[in-house]
Amino acid sequence: MYDNDTIAAIATGYTSSAIGIIRVSGKNSIAILKKVFSKDIDFEANRVYYGHILDKNGTIIDEVLVSVFMAPRSYTGENSFEVNCHGGYVVLNAVLERLFEVGARMALPGEFTKRAYLNGKIDLSQAEAISKIISSKSKRALSVAQRQLSGKFSNKLDKIRESIIFIMAENEVVIDHPEEELSNTTKQEKVNKLLSIKEKLQSILKSSEFGNYLFEGIVLSLVGRPNVGKSSLLNILTGLERAIVTDIPGTTRDVISEQFTIRGIPFTILDTAGIRKTDDPIESIGVSKSKEAIKNSDIVVAIFDGSKDLQEEDIRIIEDLQKIDKKIVAVVNKIDKKIILDKNRLNFKNIVEVSCTTKKGIIELEDMLSKLSLGDINDADIVSLNAKQKNSLKNSIEICDLLIHDVKKDIDPALFAVDIANLVDELDEIVGRITNEDMLDSMFKNFCIGK
Amino acid sequence: MIYPKKYDVIVVGGGHAGCEAALISARLGCDTLMLTIAIDSIGAMSCNPAIGGLAKGHLVKEVDVFGGEMARNIDETGLQFKILNKSKGPAVWSSRAQADMVAYKYRMKTVLEHQEHLDTKQEMVDEILVEDNKIVGIKTNVGNEYLCRSVVITTGTFMKGKIFIGLNEYEAGRAWEPPSLKLSDSLRNLGFRVSRLKTGTTPRLDARTINFDVLTTQPGDDDPIPFSFRTENFNRPNIPCYLAYTNEKTHDIILSNLDQSPLYSGMVSSLGPRYCPSIEDKVVKFFEKKKHQIFLEPQDANSTEIYADGLHTSLGYEVQLNFLRSMKGLEEVEIMRPGYAIEYDFVDPTQLKHTLETKKIKGLFMAGQINGTSGYEEAAAQGAVAGINASFFVQKKEPFILGRDEAYTGVLIDDLVTKGTKEPYRMFTSRAEYRLILREDNTQLRLAEKSFNAGLMRKEDYAIVKEQIRKIDEIKKTLKNRFLVPTPETNNKLLSINTDIIKTKTDLAKLIRRVEVSYDTLRTIVTDLPPIDKFTKQEIEIDFKYEGYLSLQRQQIEKFKKYETLKIPDDFDYNNVNGLSNEVKGKLMDIRPVSVGQALRIQGVTPAAISILIIYLRKHSDKRFKIAN
Ligand SMILES: Cc1cc2nc3c(=O)[nH]c(=O)nc-3n(C[C@H](O)[C@H](O)[C@H](O)COP(=O)(O)OP(=O)(O)OC[C@H]3O[C@@H](n4cnc5c(N)ncnc54)[C@H](O)[C@@H]3O)c2cc1C
Repeated sequence: MYDNDTIAAIATGYTSSAIGIIRVSGKNSIAILKKVFSKDIDFEANRVYYGHILDKNGTIIDEVLVSVFMAPRSYTGENSFEVNCHGGYVVLNAVLERLFEVGARMALPGEFTKRAYLNGKIDLSQAEAISKIISSKSKRALSVAQRQLSGKFSNKLDKIRESIIFIMAENEVVIDHPEEELSNTTKQEKVNKLLSIKEKLQSILKSSEFGNYLFEGIVLSLVGRPNVGKSSLLNILTGLERAIVTDIPGTTRDVISEQFTIRGIPFTILDTAGIRKTDDPIESIGVSKSKEAIKNSDIVVAIFDGSKDLQEEDIRIIEDLQKIDKKIVAVVNKIDKKIILDKNRLNFKNIVEVSCTTKKGIIELEDMLSKLSLGDINDADIVSLNAKQKNSLKNSIEICDLLIHDVKKDIDPALFAVDIANLVDELDEIVGRITNEDMLDSMFKNFCIGK
Repeated sequence: MIYPKKYDVIVVGGGHAGCEAALISARLGCDTLMLTIAIDSIGAMSCNPAIGGLAKGHLVKEVDVFGGEMARNIDETGLQFKILNKSKGPAVWSSRAQADMVAYKYRMKTVLEHQEHLDTKQEMVDEILVEDNKIVGIKTNVGNEYLCRSVVITTGTFMKGKIFIGLNEYEAGRAWEPPSLKLSDSLRNLGFRVSRLKTGTTPRLDARTINFDVLTTQPGDDDPIPFSFRTENFNRPNIPCYLAYTNEKTHDIILSNLDQSPLYSGMVSSLGPRYCPSIEDKVVKFFEKKKHQIFLEPQDANSTEIYADGLHTSLGYEVQLNFLRSMKGLEEVEIMRPGYAIEYDFVDPTQLKHTLETKKIKGLFMAGQINGTSGYEEAAAQGAVAGINASFFVQKKEPFILGRDEAYTGVLIDDLVTKGTKEPYRMFTSRAEYRLILREDNTQLRLAEKSFNAGLMRKEDYAIVKEQIRKIDEIKKTLKNRFLVPTPETNNKLLSINTDIIKTKTDLAKLIRRVEVSYDTLRTIVTDLPPIDKFTKQEIEIDFKYEGYLSLQRQQIEKFKKYETLKIPDDFDYNNVNGLSNEVKGKLMDIRPVSVGQALRIQGVTPAAISILIIYLRKHSDKRFKIAN
């Protein structure tokens, strides 16, 4: 269980704190850091670096501070680093997933501590405490998983697993009992089975998005030219008195997020400080800045001043929004005044008229936001998966494609077996282990074997 | 009497496990005695007249590399040879041969008789003699006590064997042979867990009463390949088998007579093999299937006896006759010997180490069906390993243990000693995690070195294998270093062998990786490539074409080895490890896994428990680890 993999995980948890820390440890840590960091630096131990985490196209994922530690003087005793990024699920996950892309893997529960122990960083009495922690963690992990998989979802996954094991067994029967006459499934039937498995996995992935919404919050961005009432709307939505402005000690960054709930659904608005500040008419909002906000959000709220005709900047925003594939709500503010704006020119499906002064229309806006986030989905269909589980799910879907390709190409069943075993491994990450015995059971239950 | 000659190794039983154990032990220079109930049935095939088959072919070839006899014996006495799964990839090719049962056992008996250091005697062993948990000898039914330093028990289905034909039952070790009634009690008294298993066999038919004209003929391969890599001048006949089918009438007869089956009437309650069900099981469980295949196989070259493969049954004689005669081609068939079910004692194999030595008694080894397996090949593989380790025990040499990543034999034994078995255990390729690497075709290539280093392989045989490996490497190098450049002429040639053109300079190895390209077709356009033999060709094609998957399996093996090399000391006290549940502790103390890897394979031992164990072991037993950091 001790290996050379470089592991990564969110150290601060998924709670909505102002900042989040991702910890990375392992032999290749520094090489991995070099691949994702915006500056080409020879990193030194015990130093903090300011820069950006970039995605594979070189686009900025987040502005960060990175602390670098070198073996053996680190928590784990290995080369490692910590990324301080903006809090909240979306940013943390994006950074984490980027790290996975370049070679890190998700840390198991307690794995950092375990490595610390294995590298002799902590002593025996601590270690025994840790072995308890690890065992209790996995029990907890189990019960959490069980809760997650209860009811409909677990049945769904069980059924998918069963159908995969059936295909596996079918493949093994063909290999191990070549002289038997077994009802041969046609190629097309096999492809269809795999397609249906893939679709089911995709639908789980989709419902896990709702799970994220429900458990991790929906990211809203507020866009609009200065003075249309962004900060007023922000204050209404968040409830001004609750809007805490946190500063990150030791840095000059002021980008923070705020959370509020509508009908029990948590929402997060990023860069609230920026919104408040740039709503100041003196400072103009850069279009690029709003673009950035839009990219990271699930729902975009575009605000317009109803008491004025559309301005050049409004039109630019409308054009920008029409180019992207996001859920959008247009808010026509200031309806307590005389309405001049021609709503038809807004060209959005969802339009709500409000007055931030009289609070008229706010309830309708909240209805709209709640509808857009969870739609009419039944609570029973919502699942919550963590990044690791989602990762497995995504891999599983890719493997389904590979298997379909295998079948179409009439691949050697021994190789098909290797590929489908990978699919099972990935699903095991989500649902717990199956053993070879399960496959044999399925084989003997479903096929008449034996001369 | 207390026999004056003292032996190094005594092998109890002359079946497939016993023969390999005795021969190998004698070949390793140990003074060996084989004691068996009937000398005439040494090497006898209790059931089907065939050697090999899926995954079993692998075992036969492995035994061959360990210096065993099974492969040579079938190469000399087979009636037809066939590679199964030839339409699929090389990882799952398996050799199978129909055997001349009579010639097979006769040759085996002769080989034993002429083996230096080996005595063979017809006596039944009744008791194991032990002092201070160490073997000292055995006692036989004629009152002899033989003293020895180690014992290998290979009693097959004989211990308290009980045969069922319909509602009739009688005590027997095999159809026409006496059972061993006392030995398993001696084992029980020594504290071993002994339980019951059952298996069955099919009726033997008179060829003169079968209408072969209406049945499908099944010949062997035209170009047969021997089992042993040492066999030369291979020239065996190709005698066909025949294919018959049951029908709805057959099934009706069986279903309406289930009360005549000891399996269904509750007389036999022990478990039989799921993969080898009786015909009554097949008809009941797969009710919707309208017909089942029956293979009619010759038992030997001269007699008229035909083995009806696929018809294991314990139904009464009259029912057997009736359902047989309901089948096309068998309307007038006569039974020569009826099918029967047999129930017997076996010893829970989790009481064994990977050497097949019992954990309880030093110098006592067990191999074959007594360990809960079924099949000649499974027995032979265990016999070989037990024979080797019994000898090494006597000679105080390092034990000979095969990993799951090295051999099917390793998988077989690890499964048995780690998981035990509830039904007669049979080998399948799907039991081997690394079957792309553990192929039948490369058996000697992957095992020769280990075998030679352990002193199991003769120098001249090792030289043969080394030469094979050298040739393969040489051609592979040639192909990697020869390039084609994309001239119109080259590309036309490529099109002429039905493969795509190249756009950049390409080495020949890359071309062979293409499905449609073989060494031979390549040679038609690169004419100066050397001619090579069939085997070398096959190996380089497999290596290149499967390269991606093979390296994936090699990586998996590396991961697997990490846990295998994390050893758990023999006397490890699990009670000292905090955080393990009592259930897990119980399992670990029962099996006493030798490594974390093995612990991981014990059913019911959780990954979390394994983490705890690793942490504990690192801290307590591996000081180097700390220093390294
Ligand atoms: C009815 C029946 C059906 C079977 N069906 C199948 C099948 O469908 N497929 C399959 O793969 N395998 C089948 N087998 C199993 C196969 O025959 C055995 O697995 C294989 O022969 C086991 O080899 P072995 O060496 O362990 O024991 P055996 O071949 O049974 O040999 C045991 C030897 O031990 C000797 N012996 C026993 N007790 C004593 C004693 N106390 N003292 C001295 N000598 C002793 C016997 O004389 C015999 O020589 C069947 C066996 C039987 C009997």
